[in-house]
Amino acid sequence: MALIFIRTAIIFIATLVVMRLMGKRQIGEMQPYELVITLIIADLACIPMADNSIPLLYGVIAILSVYFLHQIICLIDLNFPWAKSIVSGIPSIVLNKNGIDDTQLKKNNLDVSDLIESLRVEGYFALDSVDYALYEAEGTFSALPKRNYMELQQSLPIILVDEGKFDEKNVVYTGHDKEYFLDVLKHHGCVELKKVLVMTVDGNGKVYLQQKGKKYETFSLNWEKQLW
Amino acid sequence: MIRTIVSIFITLALILGVSTYESQRVQSTFDEFDKVLASLYEKTENGEVTYEDGTATEAFWENKKNTLHVWLPHTSILEIDYQLYEAVGYLYVRDYKSALPKIEILRGMCKNIPQSYRFSLENVF
Repeated sequence: MALIFIRTAIIFIATLVVMRLMGKRQIGEMQPYELVITLIIADLACIPMADNSIPLLYGVIAILSVYFLHQIICLIDLNFPWAKSIVSGIPSIVLNKNGIDDTQLKKNNLDVSDLIESLRVEGYFALDSVDYALYEAEGTFSALPKRNYMELQQSLPIILVDEGKFDEKNVVYTGHDKEYFLDVLKHHGCVELKKVLVMTVDGNGKVYLQQKGKKYETFSLNWEKQLW
Repeated sequence: MIRTIVSIFITLALILGVSTYESQRVQSTFDEFDKVLASLYEKTENGEVTYEDGTATEAFWENKKNTLHVWLPHTSILEIDYQLYEAVGYLYVRDYKSALPKIEILRGMCKNIPQSYRFSLENVF
């Protein structure tokens, strides 16, 4: 039984480390260790139940071991903030007043389109409509909108350039070609497409442009009419 | 917090208690069974064994294995059953030469099975 305890602890720690390394994308509304417990305990309960050749006590001891580890982690969570950040992680601010923080996004195995999707789920369609956006330690998404955020999202913004690459479909959707947008980029001091972190445009021609390592800027393309 | 600490100690005590009891229980059961097998082996080697000696060993094992089912995977117990029934079968037909290796295998299992469930680095991994 001591063997089962040690083996359970090793599997538990290994799964927890992998979950932490995978970033917030894999978690979703649970602390990493809670997800690990959910994953492990289901199998621990099922195997001795379904396999007659394994003594039931093996399952019971393994489940008790998981409970023991859970209690230990709860204790650490409550009393040692430095250890809590290792076990459960810390919130990641992926968007601030300067724009998107792609270092934080990459740390959590996320990309710009994931961030835009999370913002849309929260009801914010324009990247400049929020001051801060963050992924909590347990993987949920929170955003602090600007006071006038409703005025900033009059039309649906679409991604034109995502991490240095044009989204061909969306470029066609705007009714313009790549050359047109390359000129726009040049006009705003961006000569290399690969240096563009994100560029979106909405139906009114309002552009959100952020170059890698720089603060974002917004400007209007002065389109004659609203395109969508 | 006190509740959490108490629950940690209770769980740890429970796991350690069960582990220690299991380790001793399995070891002592197999030690006893090995003594019985050693006596059977000696009698078989000297040609003094009877079929009743075999069935007595079988009865001893049947009695012990009921509790072992709690601690060991049932496949390990089935393997001993199989070897023991074969050995007793050879004793019934007085084929002592064939019975001896079977008893030898059983004695080996008595040493190996408790070791394979004992707390050690090779067993953990």
